[in-house]
Amino acid sequence: MDTAQITPGSRFVDPKVLARIGSLDLLARTVVDGFINGLHKAPYLGVSIDFAEHRGYMPGDDIRFIDWRVFARTDRFYVKQFEADTNTNFSVLFDVSRSMSFGSKGITKLDYGRFLAACLTYFCTKQRDRVGIVTFDDDIVARVPPSAKHLEVVLHTLDRIQAGRPGSFERPLFKATEFFKRRGILLVISDFYDEPQVVVDALKPLRYGGNDVMVFHVLDPAEIDFPYDDATSFQDLETERKMPVVPEKLREQYRQLIQEHISTLSKLCGQNRIDYALFNTAQSLDHALFQFLAMRAKLSRMR
Amino acid sequence: MGLLAPLFLLGLTALAVPVIIHMIQRERKEVIEFPSLMFIRKIPFHSFRRQRIRHWFLLLLRCAALALLVVAFTRPFIRSPALAAVTAGAGEVVILLDRSYSMGHGDRWQRAKEEALDVINGLAADDRATVILFDSGAEASARSTTNRASLTGLVNDAEVSAGVTRYGPALKLAEGIFEGSDLPRLEAVLISDFQRTGVESANGVRFPDGTELRPVSVMPDDLSGTANVSVAGVLFQREYFSGRERVVVTARLTNRGDEPIDDLEVGFEMDGREVEMLTADLPPNGSATVDFAAVTLGDAPMTGAVRVERDALPTDDVFYFVVSPGQVVTVLLIGNARGAGEANLFLSRALGIGSSPAFDIRTTTIDTFNASDLAGRQVVILNDAPPPVGQAGLALREFVENGGGLFVASGERSVWPQDGLDLLPGRLGPPTDRDGRGGSVGFVDYSHPVFELFSAPRSGDVTTARFFRYRSVEPYDTTAVLARFDDDSPALTERQVGDGRVLLWASTVNNFWNDLALKPVFLPFVHRLTEYLAAYTPPTAWFSAGQVLNLTEQQVGLGEGGLVAADYVVMSPSGERIPVDVGDRTGFIDLDEQGLYEVHDANAAEVQPLNLAVNVDLSESDLTAVDPDELASAVTGRVGGERDSSAPVREVSAEDLERRQAFWWYLLVSAFCLFVAETVVSNRLSRTTLSAD
Repeated sequence: MDTAQITPGSRFVDPKVLARIGSLDLLARTVVDGFINGLHKAPYLGVSIDFAEHRGYMPGDDIRFIDWRVFARTDRFYVKQFEADTNTNFSVLFDVSRSMSFGSKGITKLDYGRFLAACLTYFCTKQRDRVGIVTFDDDIVARVPPSAKHLEVVLHTLDRIQAGRPGSFERPLFKATEFFKRRGILLVISDFYDEPQVVVDALKPLRYGGNDVMVFHVLDPAEIDFPYDDATSFQDLETERKMPVVPEKLREQYRQLIQEHISTLSKLCGQNRIDYALFNTAQSLDHALFQFLAMRAKLSRMR
Repeated sequence: MGLLAPLFLLGLTALAVPVIIHMIQRERKEVIEFPSLMFIRKIPFHSFRRQRIRHWFLLLLRCAALALLVVAFTRPFIRSPALAAVTAGAGEVVILLDRSYSMGHGDRWQRAKEEALDVINGLAADDRATVILFDSGAEASARSTTNRASLTGLVNDAEVSAGVTRYGPALKLAEGIFEGSDLPRLEAVLISDFQRTGVESANGVRFPDGTELRPVSVMPDDLSGTANVSVAGVLFQREYFSGRERVVVTARLTNRGDEPIDDLEVGFEMDGREVEMLTADLPPNGSATVDFAAVTLGDAPMTGAVRVERDALPTDDVFYFVVSPGQVVTVLLIGNARGAGEANLFLSRALGIGSSPAFDIRTTTIDTFNASDLAGRQVVILNDAPPPVGQAGLALREFVENGGGLFVASGERSVWPQDGLDLLPGRLGPPTDRDGRGGSVGFVDYSHPVFELFSAPRSGDVTTARFFRYRSVEPYDTTAVLARFDDDSPALTERQVGDGRVLLWASTVNNFWNDLALKPVFLPFVHRLTEYLAAYTPPTAWFSAGQVLNLTEQQVGLGEGGLVAADYVVMSPSGERIPVDVGDRTGFIDLDEQGLYEVHDANAAEVQPLNLAVNVDLSESDLTAVDPDELASAVTGRVGGERDSSAPVREVSAEDLERRQAFWWYLLVSAFCLFVAETVVSNRLSRTTLSAD
């Protein structure tokens, strides 16, 4: 096998993950635009097996869709209309701010996010969805528009990602809104170190554009548990500001604050029909992703 | 309250350290990178909790420990009148105990030791004392100590020495102790028999102001007991009888008492056996001599002693000596073939008189002189003769180079050709005539052994001789000119040739050209000159106690060859073995005891040991005492040496006060205790806090 033909980012596509989630589908919870038939509901009525409605026959309608049973009852011509199934755009909005490079147990949040993005992108490609990616910190860093042929480009982009600058949400996500004219699935991967309201406010334009927005909140276990003991100085990775900290004195309050942050963010996302999922990098990726997709599939059925 | 080093108070700023530690707590130096501090910043805990002092007791403990440490370094002391009164009682007491041999008179030594012990027993608890044992030297074994047992032991172990009384070194040593003392009261106790002979050495000694000198005399009140007979010395008169050398020993006795002594028994011993016992009558404050029968000497030196009846001071009742066989200097006198007998007359007569050493003279002429004549000769005198030539000349040169002595006396026939023997100290020129009263010797090097004898006043004047003719001499650069005529022409010159010496006399040694031979100095001049050329060293019949002897210079009687100090075994008169290889004093021994020392050659047991006789200095036999207060006044500058009550009390310096009080020590110990307590308390508090959290 010629190694030169291997896509650099393909190492992020974990067969183990794909095998685990292979029995599921990533379905858009909202109607999405597409060009071909697919798994997702299109905003239009089209050819599918899902009945949508009846309407009165208009000259030019294909007589094959006349519902003869209704004609027998009402003596009027009605044609049956069906839901349209389509494929969709799957785009990853990947936070590559400096804080994502943190990792206390070997794997960084950035790498964890890469695996998530790569696996889901590959997964969606197999669903015949178009895939793209936008990386951002406090601005747009790289953009790959959705395309059915862009899997390799996305993987390349994931491979080249470097976390180096401080991040924010308002400006880059507002800019990203311009990229998504067609409704699709948007996956935002970030550690969301900002006020939940600010984060959700930044996500709202995407959501209001008709996109199905998913939020993957990736955190390191050290960020959740704060396991430090000795009094020492902590340095903010993004602002580089140092602060003397006695961990044992504030551990509980920290844990309380981070849990409040998570729950608030989750709650606000829910209120805005944004799917929220917390990923702990200590968790195995396949298990976490399977849980998320299963939950999403369940919600889709409930709808 | 005072501080010796107040600048250390700046260290109190270190008190901020525990406060700072309390405020910020100890932090690790490494920095932990964290994704975001947005949550930590929201917690008011860190800014509040750290800046609050929780353990006031711990803080006070740390501050107190640091403060004590700083104050200890400032070396505080208290200058209170009450404390000064307490410390004024402490004194520096120096006990000077005379151990010269005159202290062996009667019960003086016992009384002196009792007096010294009384002083020691009377010392206050905070007094420091020193015992100085002195004779001609001074020794302070336990210096400025409060150890009474050590001082008492020192006094009890002390013995009378063979030395003489010299107050100077002992008082000087005491002066040094007083000057180095920080105690307010200085007191010296001088226990002695206060012999006048030792007072002169105390000139220039002056104790510090306020020092009290308390003289304690052990002289009896009744001075009639000071009568003392001593053997002042012996003289040897050598003579030859039937080819054997005999010596007549004459002893000189002195009576320092006011009463005449009749029929004093005087014993004479040779090699440990009593040879003769005579009686002598001694006038009051006078002396007498006793001649013993002649003793025939053998080949080896003999030891001898002269004893008188034992009196109150037995040390000077005996006089030891060593009689060595008479030394002979062999001389070859070479004269001119014509009239040699007349020319050699004065010289041969002068050398024939000598007995210590004796001079063995062999006479020949320059014509008959040959190399075999030099055998066994130490000195060759070439009297008014030209130099030998041929084999004889070469033999003479070899003789000188091997250590022989050559004396060349110039005269009418002393023509030294240019190609003659190169032995002279200079080029011999033609005769110079001095008209009228003639010339005289104008310069004499009295430091030279030849003329050293005449250096003292009235010991002979070589300048009285008149010189009517002498040869001019042009000395070489390496030549030493020992005497010059009044016209600056060299009279006596010396040159070293190989191991030997050559002396050139520019005139005759008879009455042909000068009248030196008719002067009294001629005889000692010729004797000294010949002894010098023969490198003659007279054997020492006795040494004085206190002398230091270099053994390597005393090889008479020991085996041949260069001996090293380790080869010597020296036994003192008391039978103790004396080490002779101690550090850089290897080969030197101190002759401290009176009597006969024996020096054995460890490598040759069959060789008779070298005996060294040591006698005490008889100046100590004069028991005349000086008024003790006179000496005390001279040393202290006050009558009787007592303390001047009006004199201000010696002020104790701040350094002395601080050193005596030594508060810094207690402060340091307290600080250490506080630090230990702080460690315990902080550990306990830390555990309590952690478990509570």
